[in-house]
Order: sequence, then C-alpha cells, then structure tokens
Amino acid sequence: MSREEDADDRGFAQFERFLDAWSRRDFLKRAGGAAAFMAFSGGVVEFLQACAGSSNNNTTATVKKGGHIVEGNFTDIRTLNSMLSSDTASNQVIGLLFDGLTNQKKDGTVIPAVAESWKTSSDGLTYTFKLRSGMKWSDGQALTADDVKFTYALAYDPAYKDFASPRRGDLSKYIKSIDTPDPLTVVLTTTQVYAPFLASHGQYGILPKHILGSMDAKALNTADYNNNPTVSNGPFKFVSWQKGQQVTVGRNDSYYGGAPNLDQWIYKVLPDSVAVTNQLKTGEIDIGPIDPGQYDSLTGTQTVARSEFPVPTFTFYAYQLDPNKPAGPLFQDKAVRQALLFALDRNSMNQAIYFGHATAADSVEPPTSWAYKAKPQVLYPFNKAKAESMLDAAGWTKGTDGIRAKGGTKLKFTMITNAGNKQRESSLTYMQQAWHDIGVDATPSLIQFPQLVSQIVDIRTFDVFLVGFNWSVDPDEAALFHSRNTVPGGFNGFDFKNEQVDAILDQALGTLDQAKRKQLYGQFQDIMSDQVPAPILNFTHGIWGVNTRVQGTDFGPFNQYQFRPWLKNVWVTDGK
Amino acid sequence: MIGPSRVAELETTGAAIDTAEGRPAQSYWNESWQRLRTNPIGMIAGALILIFAVIAILAPVFSAVLTHFQPQSVDLSATFRPPGGAHLLGTDELGRDTLTRLIWGGRVTLGIAFLTVGMALTVGTAFGMAAGYYGGWIDDILMRLVDTVLAIPAIFLFILMSILIHPTPITLAAIIASVGWGSVARLVRGEVLSVKQRDFIMATRSIGARDFRLMFRHLLPNVLPVLIVAASLGVGQIILIEAALDFLGLGIQPPTPSWGNMLTNAESYFFHSVYLVYFPGVMIFVTVLASNVFGNAIRDAFDPRLKT
Amino acid sequence: MLAKYIARRFLASVVVVLGVTAITLALMKTTSGSYVPGIDLNPALRPDDIARLRADLGLDRPGWQWYATWIWGVLHGDFGHSMIDGSTVMSHIGDRLPNTIELTATAIVIGVLIAIPVGIIGALRHGTKTDHTMTVVSVAGFAVPQFWMGLILILVFSVTLEQHGLPWLPSSGAYSAVNGGDLIDRIEHLILPATVLSFFYISTWSRFIRSSMLEVLSQDYIRTARAKGMSERRVVYLHGLRNALIPLITLIGLELPGLVSGGLVVEVVFGWPGIGKLAFERALQYDYTTVMGVTFFATLLVIAGNLLADVLYGVLDPRIRYGS
Repeated sequence: MSREEDADDRGFAQFERFLDAWSRRDFLKRAGGAAAFMAFSGGVVEFLQACAGSSNNNTTATVKKGGHIVEGNFTDIRTLNSMLSSDTASNQVIGLLFDGLTNQKKDGTVIPAVAESWKTSSDGLTYTFKLRSGMKWSDGQALTADDVKFTYALAYDPAYKDFASPRRGDLSKYIKSIDTPDPLTVVLTTTQVYAPFLASHGQYGILPKHILGSMDAKALNTADYNNNPTVSNGPFKFVSWQKGQQVTVGRNDSYYGGAPNLDQWIYKVLPDSVAVTNQLKTGEIDIGPIDPGQYDSLTGTQTVARSEFPVPTFTFYAYQLDPNKPAGPLFQDKAVRQALLFALDRNSMNQAIYFGHATAADSVEPPTSWAYKAKPQVLYPFNKAKAESMLDAAGWTKGTDGIRAKGGTKLKFTMITNAGNKQRESSLTYMQQAWHDIGVDATPSLIQFPQLVSQIVDIRTFDVFLVGFNWSVDPDEAALFHSRNTVPGGFNGFDFKNEQVDAILDQALGTLDQAKRKQLYGQFQDIMSDQVPAPILNFTHGIWGVNTRVQGTDFGPFNQYQFRPWLKNVWVTDGK
Repeated sequence: MIGPSRVAELETTGAAIDTAEGRPAQSYWNESWQRLRTNPIGMIAGALILIFAVIAILAPVFSAVLTHFQPQSVDLSATFRPPGGAHLLGTDELGRDTLTRLIWGGRVTLGIAFLTVGMALTVGTAFGMAAGYYGGWIDDILMRLVDTVLAIPAIFLFILMSILIHPTPITLAAIIASVGWGSVARLVRGEVLSVKQRDFIMATRSIGARDFRLMFRHLLPNVLPVLIVAASLGVGQIILIEAALDFLGLGIQPPTPSWGNMLTNAESYFFHSVYLVYFPGVMIFVTVLASNVFGNAIRDAFDPRLKT
Repeated sequence: MLAKYIARRFLASVVVVLGVTAITLALMKTTSGSYVPGIDLNPALRPDDIARLRADLGLDRPGWQWYATWIWGVLHGDFGHSMIDGSTVMSHIGDRLPNTIELTATAIVIGVLIAIPVGIIGALRHGTKTDHTMTVVSVAGFAVPQFWMGLILILVFSVTLEQHGLPWLPSSGAYSAVNGGDLIDRIEHLILPATVLSFFYISTWSRFIRSSMLEVLSQDYIRTARAKGMSERRVVYLHGLRNALIPLITLIGLELPGLVSGGLVVEVVFGWPGIGKLAFERALQYDYTTVMGVTFFATLLVIAGNLLADVLYGVLDPRIRYGS
C-alpha cells in the first residue's frame, strides 16, 4: 500500500466515524419530539386566543417623528402612473406618492388637496379650481396649473389618443376644454352636466409636465417614470419598487401639507390573506386588510387593533336575461327571479360565509351612500314556502325527479364565479343547496378571473354569474344597469334593459341638484327591487388590522386604499 | 414535483429477467410474489391502498349507510362542529360532514391517481415499445416527440391547460398524464432495447412471428415488472401533484371534494378549527406513503439483487 | 464527436422552443376571450376603454400575426414589455431568476450534503434498524405535500415562536421590508423555504444513493477489488461511491429544468420572488409577453439541463458514446 492510499484510508475512516456517529442518533426520538411540538403549538395558540383582548389606540401621547410603517397586501401593484392605473393596489401606492386636485374624507365628502377651493358655474358645465400657492414637486420645481392641464390632457386630448389610459372613455366624453388663465387657476369645461364629475374625476394624482411633457403618447405608455416616478407631489416620494416584493416610499419634505411624521412607508406583497394575518401577528407588517374568515384568529393578539366598517362594495349574482342565450328563457319571468331570491337565507349566509362581517342587502345602493334607501318597494326576507308557491304559480312544477319544469324545460342552470375567492365559492355552494331545496337544479362552476371577466363583458354564454362590485362615492350605477352598457365591453353583460331605469339614471347624471338626484335614485332602487335582474346578496365590510404602535390612522368606508387624507399625520410610538 | 418519475426510471432499468422462453417464467412471478409476501410492511402498504380504493368505489354506499350525508349537503346551522356525535369527524365551514367529504374526496383523488397512471402507462408503453422495437427512423421521430414533451416546463402546461380545460377529475387526469407519459416511454424503450438483444426474440422473428404478437406475447411481459413498479410509485406522486394543483387553485374546484382542496381549504381555519386540517392531511400522507412503500417493496421483490 | 452531438441537439432544441412557445400562445389566445390583461371589473371603465386598451396591446390581431411579431422581436433580443406593469420582460426575468437560483441551489446543496451520507449508511447497514428508520423517514418526508409542510413550518417557526417571545424566522419574501438585504437577513429568509424544498431532494436522492450503492457493491469489479486485497474502505468509498454518484449527477442535472417550475409551490407559499411564482401569477393574469418570455427561457433551461446531464454522464462514464 502506498502512502497516498494510506492517507486516503485515514480520510475515509474519519468520514466513516462521522457517518457512524451521525447515524446512531435516535431518529425516532427526534421525529417524535418534533411531532409532539407541532401538536402542542396548535394547542398553545388556541389557549393564547382565549386569554387576551384587543387594545385601543393611544391618543394622549405626543407625536414622535421618524420611523417606518410596513403595510401588507396580497396583490402586487401594476403601475405608479395615476393616469394608467385602474386597479386598487396601484391606486393605493399612487395615493402615497401623489395628490390630486381633491381628496375625500372617510364619509366620502370631497375635500381640497392640490386645489384649495373650487367653484361650479350656475349651468353646471364649468369647474374653476384655485390651486394652492407655492406648491413644489419633490425635485423643487413649482407645481402649477400647467401640470394639472397636462395630467388631464393625457386622458382627453386627441393628441394623446395612443396613451393607454383607462380614463379616456369618460374624460374624452365629458371634458370639452381646460384653460389655465394663470398659474394657479384651472378652468375645466364639460360637454354636458355630469353629476359624478367632481367626486369621480377630481382626484387623479397630478403628473409633472416638466418630466413627461416632452414625450409622445406611445413613449409614455412604457416610460421609465411609470415604474420609477422620480418626482411626485404627495406626502411621500418614491424610493424603490422590487417587483413582487415591496414598494418603498420615503418622506417628501417639500409636501405642501408639511412633511409627514414617518420616514418611510413600505407596501409589502404577501402570498395570501392568511399570510396577512400571520404577519400582523408577528409584527412583520403593521397594517393590513383582514379577511372575514381570519378575523377571529386575531382576537388573541394584543398588538393588533382591528377596525371594521361597511364599505360601498356589494356581492351580487346576475341572471342571464338575453332570451337568445341558452338560459335566457328561464329568467324572463320576474316571478322566477324573485322566487329564487326568496329562497336564499342571506342572513345565515352572512353569518356562516362572512362570519358576520357583512350586511344583508335590501337595496342596490350601498348603505354608505347618501342616496341609500333602506326599505325599497319589495323586500326579500328568507321565505322558502313563498318561493315554492311563486314558482308553482308561475307554472314551474316539480317533476318526478324533484326538479321543476315548465313546458318541457327544466329549471336547471350553471352558476359561475372566479376560483380562489372563498366567500364567492361558498356562496355558490350554499345557493346550490338552497335552490335544490325548492326543486331548482343549479350547479356551481369556478373559472379563472380572466375567463369570468370575458364572460361578463364579451362572450356572455353564462347562465348565472356571481361577482362583487366596488363603487365610488357617487351613487351612479349606470355602468352595471344602464342598457347602453349591454354593448360588448360593457358590464351589463346580463342584458338588463329597462327604459324606465335608463331614463332615471340619465336624468340623475344630468343634474347637480342632490335632493333631486336622491329622489331619482330612490325610484331606481324601488324598480330594481321589483325587477331583481341581478340581486344583491350583501354589502361587505372593510376590516383593517393595525399594529398598536401605529397612531393616527383613520380607516373608513371611503378612506381605505387610495384616499387617506390622514397619511402625513401617521406616526409610530417607538419611532422605529 | 415532476422529477421523481425519472428516479423510478433510473432505478429500475436493467432489472432484466432471463428465461428460456423469452417470457418471464411462471416461477419468476411466483418467486417475486413469495418475496413480496415475506415483506410485512410492503404487504400492509398494499392492503391499505386496496382498502382505500374499495372505500372510494363504494362511496355512495358509505354515504347512505354510514354517514347519512351527501358531500354537497350544506347546513349553515351546523358549521365547524368538532368530531363526534352525528358528524363522526365534524363539519366544515358550511356544515358539510367531513367524513362524507373525505370518502368522496378519496374517490376523486384516488380516481385521478389511478386514471392518470393508467393513461400515462398506456400511451407511454405504446410509444416506448414501438420506438424500441422498430428502431431506426421510427425510434428517432417518436423519441424526439418524447423529448419535446419532456422539455415543456410542466407547470406552464398545467396552468394553461387547467385554464383551458375546466378541471374535472377526468380532464385533470388527462392533463397530468399528458406530461407524465414521456418518461414512461423512455423507460419502456430502454427495457425493450435490452430485451430485444436476446436470442429468443431474434429466433421468434426469424420463424416469422408477427410484430404485434411479438410485442404483446414476448416484449410486454418482460416490461411488465418495470411498469408495475412505476405504476405503484406513480400513484403517490400523482396524489401529491394533484394536491399541489389544488393548492394553486388549478386542480379540482370546490364544491367537488378532493383531499387536496379539502386540505387547502382548511388552511384558513388552522387557528379556528384545527381538526379540519388533520383528516385530509393524514389521508394524503398515509396514501402517498403506502404507495411509495408498496412500490419499493414490489421492486425489491422483482429484483432480489438489491436486497439480500 | 461531442461538438457535433451538441450541435445536433441544439438544432433540435430550436424546433422544441418554437413548438413550446407556439403552443403556449395558442392556449392563451383560445382561452382569453377578449380579456385585457390587468383590467378588473372597475365601474369607471367604459366599453370603449376596454376595446381601445385591447387594441393598444395588439390583442385584436390574429394569433399568428402576434406570434410573428414576437419572434421577430426575440430575434432582435427584444422580449417586449409586460402587459401588466409595462416594464420589460427581460427586467422581470433578470429580477427573479437570481432569487430562484439562490433558493434552488441552496436546497440542492442541502439535499446533496444530507442525502449522500444517509444513502451510504443505508446501503452499508442495509437491513438493520438504522436503515429501516432512515428509509421510513425519507419515504415519509416524501409523502407530505410541500405546500402543507411549508404552511406548518410558518405556523410553528414563525407565528408560534414569535408569540412565545422566542427567536423566530420570517415567513415570506427574500429579505426584510425594512433595511433588509444583508447576508444574515437573506439567510434567515432562506431557511424555511430551502428546508421545505430540500426535503424533497433528500427523500428522493438518499433512497436513490442507497439503492445504487447496493447495486454497485454487488458488481463483479468490486468483488475483484476485494479479492485483490484492497481495504474495504477503499472499495466502498473509492470504487463504490464513485460509481454510485454517476447516476446521482444525472439526477441533479435533471433538476435544472426544475429551477423554474420545481420550486413553484414553495415560492408561492413563502412569497419568494422567484421566476416560478412570476410565471404562475402572470399566466393567471394573461400577461402574454411575460408568459411567453418566461416559457422561452424555461424551455431553454430544460433543454440545457438535459443536455448537461447527458454530457456529464458521458464524461463520468466513458462507456457511453455519443452516436451520430
């Protein structure tokens, strides 16, 4: 044996001893220990939940400067350009970086932002905004009426028709001209009286003309600025966006409202709503929206305060009303639509599926709206017997298989919603059972969200679909219920056509008189409660978890994502 | 998640069986069976799979006689019942009976697993046998096709196909099998190539035996042990793949129960009702474990050199 | 010979890449209806907005036209802009790929470091209690769904430990939101996902090494070596292990394609910003350009991985020749 071989052998011997020692450890004991620990930890968590309460915000302490907040959510943002964005997550981060002409309070009242005041002409066609003086962009340049004009031009001026703004449809229809008689005045003339204009279109984050003004429309679509807005006018300025991970924004010292208390605000992207709850518990995030199903799991966590309030969001299902579609003939009779709604125990649904964190709906307008009518003409308390007798009277009688039929056609259809939304999935599962109980054969089917959107706006071969809709401050619901939106691309994919409703909606849009509008929307709610083309199941609640170290947040129905006029006042007690 | 089938491939090739007639002798099967029988753990694992399969087939009977609930029957007044009483294993967030759903979920999950294995083995064997037997340009074309299939990033295919084809148990099985058959084809081809070299095939050929007769009477029985092992190991892998797809929201869609979507669903209620998590988790774990243990046991039985 | 072989495989791979991307586009086109990527059910959108945005993205054109344009771009090194967020597809891939490689490479290293000793012990002591125990553990480890193991680890090592005031591990992301990104911070974030992913490798590979060691040790040349009076250790480690490791290298090579899709579930559970999660999310949102770009690279990786495995196999085992 050579020397090298000897050395090799010694090396091998050492290795073998290592393996030996390692392999003789008691694997089973360890595995058992781990299993016991896992079982135990489940119990401990339950125990902890039982013996803790939630704590309240401390209002007496003095404000500390500095520190950061990590806000968690489960969708990444798509753009930071206020005129390109159409999704909640992007708008939320844009709200940190940019201020529009106006902002809104949590009850929906429009309040000054970049514009310190505004006047509406007596004919309702012209809005004159007076801007604050001395406003500066975060790079020190002055913010003037030109910037405002440029921002709106992106979405209405034909010169920018290649700019992919989702706002063009509305703005190019209603804006006639924008004039800037002086650097602090913006005169906006509309083509016709359009009541929601101020509330819906006054709040887009203003974009810097001195940065973007020289680019053409096409180049703006993919401008670096959209992902990296170096210059902004909101309480914070952009620091970085690690896609799929987080967006970091930092204090903007030149903010017209005064520099915010915090140094940094971080928007962190998490895998799902369970992760949001978990990380609220561990303190990895300070703020996050809570899923109704996760509400109780935070009861034991003393570091997280929860706030809950109704929001202008409803869940509804829609019947296929186009008689040329396979299921269309089933739902032409109003009695069938009403009977099916009577058969749903919506209070129990809210309790079981939303864990009580939703309000049963009687009207198509959300309770957060000034136009809300609590008791419209027809109400639908759960009444199975009534549902059955209505169907009997309408000629839908039970066959030998227990399924109702009329003239050889069975009351049998498929209900679609998007996969991955637990509340909607559960709702369909319950509806299948509830309708089965009255002799209706409804089958749930879950499809991916893009397919659902396609079905609603374009293909429209569905029988029944279920989704949620998120409304803004204005009570206008023409997008969903006006017959002009039955065209391809419109959201009235269930083909609801009612001349009276069309007339009321048009009339309500064409007047600025709120009393008159309220009365019109009252009529609208009455008719809708009778027609029920798309019954509203419930109004959901916004639930936010906030770490107790965070002070000064004030979430509310209209101050959830994009609009948070209190941002600059938020501070953290530990200053970290 | 797609890797392990290749492990089976690498581990089992070369387990050739030499017999005089060109088919594994009866005694070879007998001996293998004897060896398997003396492996108690392997036998228990096999028995477990058999029992689960029987329960799954008889799900409607169990539902009618044992649990008295249907998997879809919702009762909002009896949600989150802990195990015991009328609901032996408790109820979920919609008041559905967990035991009933577990039985019906097993029907779906195991059904998909067996169906997938069946499809992948059938297609893969056909391709592998044809390629290995004929050789030449047929082999070239068929194996390039297999290469292409194996080169598609499986997860994209799963995602896109799950969106395209609404996932039902049968379509989901087809989707998973459409990726899995490639490695089976390679495995079979390799085996056929090694068997083909032997004298008896040449002899049979020279006396004018027809191709199909040759393939089915002589080649297939030789490939069979490898296929049985691959099938047994495959069941476990496919259950895991299916559970992963359920987790990603691309698998079996609620309200149809499968163990994977029951487990995914229970995740939200971990702190609320932890028992919802136990049952589907345990079923997946035990079944996959049994499938792997049984697969290993069969392999050891077929190829005694690996075990002394 | 080898060069010619690689060249031939390369030509074949061009066909494969074209095929895979064409199939991907066809699947997306046929299933999307008129869906405009990134558009939600937003009441502020008007019908003409949706039609216009669709045309802006070129989605109103027939699929083959779109594909031709895409291929033309790819030939010029331009993979286009994401339809969801407007940044270039290359920047997305450049952002995500390093994270995925970090995660998978760590898991593979852990897997190899644990699987090899476990496999050797199993082979050397096969039939003993130790062997059985390790077999049970590795087979059991393989039977737990990855997503489930991940969620349990989060609940135990993140949530529960934190609630008890014990040191705990972060549960999502690749680094801390605040002042994150240094080495220690990244390692902390890596521990949980890498553990889950490596479990899979350990279970598979240790079984594999065990059985190939057993097989090698029963070969004639090992017997010859023993007969020649070589020490048992030399036999085991020098000859046995070396030959048993050859197929393992192939196996690891086969995991290369898994770089993209293998870690997907783990990436989703832990919010790890990797390429698999990107592809998954963007496929669900119909981000055509990003999905096509990632598919392109994923397919290349699969081909490269297979080729590398084949070549390595040839280098390590001279008996294998690359025929023409």
